[in-house]
Amino acid sequence: MGWMYILLAAVFEVIGVLGLRLFSHARTVKNGVIYLGGLGGSFAFLYMAFLYLQISVAYAVFIGIGTAGAVLLNMIFFGESKSYFRMLSLIVIIIGVVGLKALS
Amino acid sequence: MLNKSWIYVVLTSLFELVWVYGFNTASEWWHWVLILCVIPFDLHFLAKACENLPTGTVYAIFAAAGTVGTALMDVFLFDRQLTTGKILFMIVIVAGVVGLKLSDEQQTEGVTN
Repeated sequence: MGWMYILLAAVFEVIGVLGLRLFSHARTVKNGVIYLGGLGGSFAFLYMAFLYLQISVAYAVFIGIGTAGAVLLNMIFFGESKSYFRMLSLIVIIIGVVGLKALS
Repeated sequence: MLNKSWIYVVLTSLFELVWVYGFNTASEWWHWVLILCVIPFDLHFLAKACENLPTGTVYAIFAAAGTVGTALMDVFLFDRQLTTGKILFMIVIVAGVVGLKLSDEQQTEGVTN
């Protein structure tokens, strides 16, 4: 269950970051809701994850999936660079997350 | 101005650890009030730090500090064991995050915002 919550926390974090990007360009109520709702949801699910997992494991996976997710989203939808170094970093994060999952 | 920005980096990392610790220990309603007050400060200092320093660097340090800090909390405050394998994969994740953030920085260098 803990892993499910971390995944949800990371997804909401990505939504929050996307909202922040939108909100900084156009300060509309809708963008504000995406930004704050995303971050709020992210914190709520992170709290749930802490109930099941070691905090250090939960935190590392949360930061990893959140960052990797945001970069992937930007690569796919906003045409950001797909350089080898970025791809390599993404793969490194995935190895770390899978490894921690296997050990926990 | 640059020195002040580094103080913001330290503050945002500390406040991050405060609310993460709070999430794990809160038992009374006023604990939650305190935690909910800390989070906006955390995000505010993060934004302030990014004003004068490259965002990639700030976020990479922030992520690394959070991961190391929570690992120390697990061991020293919550009496939970960290195996060598877990520590190793945590370092792998942080390495990936730092790599991503720093590669973003190189790309935006020379590009006017």
